Amino acid sequence: MRFQDAAPDARTVVYAAIQAEPIVARVAELLADAGPAERILARAVMNGETREPDRWRRMVPALFPAGGPGSERTEAILAASLEVADRGDRVRDQIRGAIVEELTARLVARRVGPEAVRRERRILFDGVAAEIHPYDVTVERDRSAEAYDCKWGARGINEDVLHQLDDAHRHAADEERRLTVALVIFDASLSCRVRLARRTAPRDGTKLVSIETLDALAGMAAPPPASAPVEGSSGR
Amino acid sequence: MPGPGDIEPTVRDVVERALRAHGELADRGESVEDEWTYVNDLRLAWADRLRRLVADGSGDLPAPPAMAAAIDLAIEEIARIEDPHRSIDWLSTFPQLVGLAVVGTRR
Repeated sequence: MRFQDAAPDARTVVYAAIQAEPIVARVAELLADAGPAERILARAVMNGETREPDRWRRMVPALFPAGGPGSERTEAILAASLEVADRGDRVRDQIRGAIVEELTARLVARRVGPEAVRRERRILFDGVAAEIHPYDVTVERDRSAEAYDCKWGARGINEDVLHQLDDAHRHAADEERRLTVALVIFDASLSCRVRLARRTAPRDGTKLVSIETLDALAGMAAPPPASAPVEGSSGR
Repeated sequence: MPGPGDIEPTVRDVVERALRAHGELADRGESVEDEWTYVNDLRLAWADRLRRLVADGSGDLPAPPAMAAAIDLAIEEIARIEDPHRSIDWLSTFPQLVGLAVVGTRR
């Protein structure tokens, strides 16, 4: 098993410019330290239509007592999220995706150190055709490696990405190497489970990190497997 | 804010309003044909989660004004979403906002 930079093409060049926008790093840094309610606020604002901060303050009274200002960090998250929302639909979709990747990289780096974290890398195995799509975030260490695919919403979970992660996990095991693979979805765990429930691709070896469990990336708790059943729902 | 003579809504009343709005949001998301099943799976799963917010008997309590206002603003927010793809994205975010409003303002 070895890692390789993805070959640059037109899409990656354009996307690299998005990834390098200062707002991406700023929001990711804020969200890395954020609590669960602040992350939900950020997702709502970045996905929303309202540009008036006072309406958001009144919409999330848990963070803004009496509709007044929140903590310094909460206010910074609100302001930065509004800045993202203010971009055109297509650009903001790209920025949101880049934020989830950057957030993942920063949280993982808190556990393994920044020098082990790489972006846009492919994983090659002996005798196996290389996957076309690179992994958003990888951890490259001798004793263990990790590969993450990051998505803004649960709807981004599809058969292709599940197969790619499972294949990588199995090929690494064939080479007697340890590779942890995970989906990082900036969406509710329930929606991820609902999405996964009808997917047929294998995922026993794939972890799922949702908006509620992001801190697991930094080592604060182990994320659950993606094969776990939908919880708290009679609709399945 | 309720005026004189108005009946103060209960927590269950405002959660029921949120449930109706969530259903309408799902109706808009359904127009993405490839995601019909996913949208309806989300509709059921989140409706169940919202009902659980008032399953402990707290539903009969008066809704604090901040709770009712927060949920009504969230309902207004999703009513502005016209794009069915964005509607799908909101099917999980909206109930999370409702949950924060209910849990964060309970008396």
